[in-house]
Amino acid sequence: MTGRIVLLGQEETRLAAEPLKSGGQAAVFPVLGAGHTVVKLYRDPPGPDQERRLERMLAMAPLGGRPVEAAQPPELAWPTALARGPRGEFLGYAMRSFGEPGHVQLVGLFTRAQRLRLFPPRTDWRFLLGVAWNLAFMTVRMHHEGLFVGDFSASNVVVDANGFVTFLDCDSIAFTDAATGEHFPCTMQTPDYSAPERQEGGPATAASDDFALAVLAYQLLTAGNHPFGGVPRDSDSQSTVKDNIASSASYVVRPEDIVVPRGVVDPSVLPPALLELARTAFGPGVLDVSARPSAADWLRALDGERGRVRQCGDRPRHSYGGHLGACPWCARARATGQDAFNPPAAAPAAPVPAAAPGATGAGQPVPVALVAVIVVAVLVLLVVIAAA
Amino acid sequence: MHEQHPRTLPVQYSDIEFENNAQRLPLVLCLDTSSSMNGRPIDTLNEALDSWTHELQHDVGLSYSVEVAVITFGGHGVRAWQGPNPLQPDTRVSPFVPAHAFRAPRFTASGVTLLTEALELAMQIVAARKTELRAAGLQYYRPQICLVTDGLPTDGTGHYTESWRRVVPVLGDEQLARRFRLYAIGVGGITDQGEAVLRELAPKFNARLQGFPFKELLQMMSASASAEQKGAGDEVFEKIFSQFRTQRPAWES
Repeated sequence: MTGRIVLLGQEETRLAAEPLKSGGQAAVFPVLGAGHTVVKLYRDPPGPDQERRLERMLAMAPLGGRPVEAAQPPELAWPTALARGPRGEFLGYAMRSFGEPGHVQLVGLFTRAQRLRLFPPRTDWRFLLGVAWNLAFMTVRMHHEGLFVGDFSASNVVVDANGFVTFLDCDSIAFTDAATGEHFPCTMQTPDYSAPERQEGGPATAASDDFALAVLAYQLLTAGNHPFGGVPRDSDSQSTVKDNIASSASYVVRPEDIVVPRGVVDPSVLPPALLELARTAFGPGVLDVSARPSAADWLRALDGERGRVRQCGDRPRHSYGGHLGACPWCARARATGQDAFNPPAAAPAAPVPAAAPGATGAGQPVPVALVAVIVVAVLVLLVVIAAA
Repeated sequence: MHEQHPRTLPVQYSDIEFENNAQRLPLVLCLDTSSSMNGRPIDTLNEALDSWTHELQHDVGLSYSVEVAVITFGGHGVRAWQGPNPLQPDTRVSPFVPAHAFRAPRFTASGVTLLTEALELAMQIVAARKTELRAAGLQYYRPQICLVTDGLPTDGTGHYTESWRRVVPVLGDEQLARRFRLYAIGVGGITDQGEAVLRELAPKFNARLQGFPFKELLQMMSASASAEQKGAGDEVFEKIFSQFRTQRPAWES
């Protein structure tokens, strides 16, 4: 079964019948015979504003002219062509496909099981810190070019096996066209990552991106905990992340006011400089935009920590900030019985080089115990014989 | 010598996973399994539920947020299921299962259409789940209840009953207070009268579909769940819902 034909530039292109993804506003279709290209078609006929926006975007080359490693995917899922119907009507646009398994939404890094299933086996805190750095770096770069992500969330960014990030849904980015001075606002937002001023209808700005970045960086550094998770002690029954943001209620800043889930990771896994930024972003910086740390502040602080990461000698996939004297993930596993990075069943079984030194014998506790029992039994027997 | 690695606890403690602090999205499938669904319709439902379960498990955005509970009304009266297992009527066990761990029950069709009681149970388990989540410090998105039937509400003897009218005001108030979103969907040979009941129960999100398009119906529930996570406005849900409606024979009223 095949789907409709659209014009990409001058080229007649046939789409698959079934969309890859389908939402209220648009659906994304694979292009038949072109595995790397997908076409996003809007549900309702998009207006002339949207068409002009996409045309302007085609004329721009954001983040261009910069050396990137050969293994690195494009940093933005930028439009590559407009998609038009047979009478030339504007329907949507084409872009490169960034689907699984090569590219996973950031949210996939926020639970242990999905990290283990979707990312390389050695994915650890060092990797999460590196992804946070890449996110901060991209945010700084985009702001430098006058682009505001606007709808910045854990599902609009994908990560590859090397931790390189790519921003999706670029058609909602806010920017001002340098040639005409026309401003294209961002009309989309995701409440779990929306700063209060955006929730109230304000425009997408560098500061609103900085807020989303702070939330995402915190989630990465705590292996997935949203800083506005938990239920405030005095809240009504429908409390959500969005409500907690609006009322500036974060357990990172005021732990005594919030009931948090049992599994929440202690904020102290963040190195002091990063914890300081988080406390400012989720405290005074929530309502006071001028107090909010910028993407550049995050980038600087993250930069300082990458060289200080320590490797745990006891368990695989355990690495942690240089500010800590002992592995926080081992401490957490001892206290709760839950290992944030290893599968629940047999944590010591996974053979990873980093865990090898000094770990000899740990894999065979039963034989050791058995030998001990036999030795004791023989000794007892000897004593009994001697006494007799 | 290194100290022994600490013993690891089972993945699940109670029914709330330790390593998952994501905001939850309770989803109730409230399904008609009465005798009129016998044969092809119930087979289609079973197949569709199986493949939807698989898709949901692999959806990186939904699998750790959505929690699925199933309620059926048919041969055993009204019954809640925890994944593939039917629950005792007076149990205190929650029927909600995280989407990544959800396995589909297999239904057989028989019995009467206790639609009213099924809806009441759906509201009850949603309220109870919210209390459990809150007590655990977990937040939740607006829950979704999806009611699917091919007939008219009956009493225990299989005769049409007006008892559904008693839930209309409750449903109205609860939805106004944004406590959940109810989709009411008529399938197969549902009559005009059956459709009128659904329209009263869910004034915004009701539909009458040709045949038994359970696959599309379940995909619509996933799309709605994603829209909920994105904080979409009501107009988006209406759009998602209206796309999924189908053409109908011109002969029908």
